[in-house]
Amino acid sequence: MLPKIIERDDLRAFVEALLADNVVVAPIRKGEKYVFSEVETFDEIALDYNISLLSPKKFFYPQIETVLKFKIGDRPESQAITEASPVIIFGIHPCDIAATWLLDEVFKEDPADPNYLEKRKKAVLIGLNCAQPCDEFSFCRDMGSYNVEEGFDLMLTDLGEKYFVEIGSKLGEEILVEGAHFRDATSGDLKDRQAYQEKKETNFVKRIPYDTKFLPEILEESYDSLVWDAIAKRCFSCGSCNIVCPTCYCFNVTDEVAASAAEGERKRVWDSCQLAEFTEVAGGEVFREERSSRLRHRFFRKGKWLLERYGKLGCVGCGRCDRNCLVKINSVEVYTQLAGEPVQ
Amino acid sequence: MKPKVAFFSFTSCEGCQLMFLNLEDELLDLLGLVEIVNFREAMKEVLADEYDIAFVEGSITTHSDIEEVEDIRKRTKILIAFGACATIGGINAIKNFQPLDDVRKYVYDRDWDKIDTVPTMSVDQVVDVDCYIHGCPVDKKEILDVVTSVILGKTPRVPDYPVCVECKLAENVCVFDKGLVCLGPVTRAGCSAICPTFGNKCLGCRGIISDPNVNAEKDLLAERGLSIDDILKEFRMFDGLSEVSK
Ligand code: SF4
Ligand code: SF4
Ligand code: SF4
Ligand code: SF4
Ligand code: SF4
Repeated sequence: MLPKIIERDDLRAFVEALLADNVVVAPIRKGEKYVFSEVETFDEIALDYNISLLSPKKFFYPQIETVLKFKIGDRPESQAITEASPVIIFGIHPCDIAATWLLDEVFKEDPADPNYLEKRKKAVLIGLNCAQPCDEFSFCRDMGSYNVEEGFDLMLTDLGEKYFVEIGSKLGEEILVEGAHFRDATSGDLKDRQAYQEKKETNFVKRIPYDTKFLPEILEESYDSLVWDAIAKRCFSCGSCNIVCPTCYCFNVTDEVAASAAEGERKRVWDSCQLAEFTEVAGGEVFREERSSRLRHRFFRKGKWLLERYGKLGCVGCGRCDRNCLVKINSVEVYTQLAGEPVQ
Repeated sequence: MKPKVAFFSFTSCEGCQLMFLNLEDELLDLLGLVEIVNFREAMKEVLADEYDIAFVEGSITTHSDIEEVEDIRKRTKILIAFGACATIGGINAIKNFQPLDDVRKYVYDRDWDKIDTVPTMSVDQVVDVDCYIHGCPVDKKEILDVVTSVILGKTPRVPDYPVCVECKLAENVCVFDKGLVCLGPVTRAGCSAICPTFGNKCLGCRGIISDPNVNAEKDLLAERGLSIDDILKEFRMFDGLSEVSK
């Protein structure tokens, strides 16, 4: 599908047209940070946001979700709950689009997860390109997610007076009509887009001193590295790094019984492999008792195991884990140290 | 036969009992499950002196408290430590860092030497505790979970991971980013990170998790400009009985 152009001043009208008939979520300010949240007006949207606290995965895979309702007693009953309503996600950045690709792979694998897939099917992703990295924590260039060619319905690139609009799906093409402010891109527009890209390539620098395709090997070699023990000394096992990660997908399942003790709800809640409870099994045995083994597990998931299983790295380099780590455990530093390279 | 439930209160503000009574939407259902036989805050009569479940609120701070809680232990099948005063000593343990006579003079003035006191203890420092409902005050959801779990014979869920987990789930801006300090990284979750959610620091009222990285927390607080004294003050607010406060 050929790219389109929308003039800067027309973006408002387009978004307002979307807002008239749809639930639209977009980045808004929360204190000094940003979160994706439902918006009612165009002006609420922080078009220049750098990164949201949680990624928009929460709209397909909510932090806490009821998956079953049940009755207990003489005639027990249960009913699976799958709730999904249409949503337009406006302003999602390339790394979060790349992360969505990975989650799609995970949740559609047999046994497919209807709770995720139903919501995902009803979501429209309107991407917003990044001209520069969010901040010093981003390493999306290393992880290859700073540009995305697919995974979105529309992708907007801010070219100053106009936005360049790539169409990624049939659905994307259909919603263009809602605003009807789009024209075909001309060769001049393509040139502007090209210039944006050239600038972008210089703005995003590599931070890991080797190609990340070598990560699986480097991790393999580092299973017994002392680096894990060294960083574990300051780790809280607080799970923040997992909870904020757009590619983490583990959940815990708990039953909440009503005060009548006759019925209840089964919920799934995002979980974290940094918690000792995560590997606790019946009888109280904990498989990854050491903090260092839990930390290592996270890095192996991100840099090796998911790549081997799904063909893409389990990390998109958004930097949320590092940004939110109170004790400054930093992925780029860890990957650098593991390769025996000096940390900048 | 419905399980017989009793409530007892030691040194505390009795706010946790109030939380039970505040379960407005659920109270009738709960009363269908259990029979309350002793609850001074809610009723005059005492209907039995043997219990299936005893909720014990408050810290143990006098010799007579010790005798009384030992007696309760003998008369109940399940003993639940109810609220921070009971589970971890809570605020009451602040007095343990001052000479007890000074404390008595300060509180009771003229007749101070007639009033008995011992260093504050959590309930489990005196008798065996079967189940904990943490928090100052306790969380309604956890009261429900514990009561229904006991009725159904399951183990109640008591989280043993930091408040940060729930804080991140709530997508809060970390209070460290607002220039405050926070005990969330070493404090037991289960409150849905209610304090950071409303912009305040976590004071540690649900107690310290079983495997805290205390050094990392102390370093973090020191990095934010707190002196050793200030750091201890943070911990001693609720967790005076814990190793972290020593
Ligand atoms: S956020 Fe940092 S301190 Fe917390 S578990 Fe992750 S690495 Fe450890
Ligand atoms: S591991 Fe860290 S940098 Fe990588 S995707 Fe997750 S949060 Fe982002
Ligand atoms: S834990 Fe807090 S609310 Fe509960 S009784 Fe003690 S002081 Fe009061
Ligand atoms: S505000 Fe406190 S509980 Fe929340 S993430 Fe920060 S340190 Fe953890
Ligand atoms: S956030 Fe901390 S102080 Fe506040 S209720 Fe939870 S455990 Fe208690």
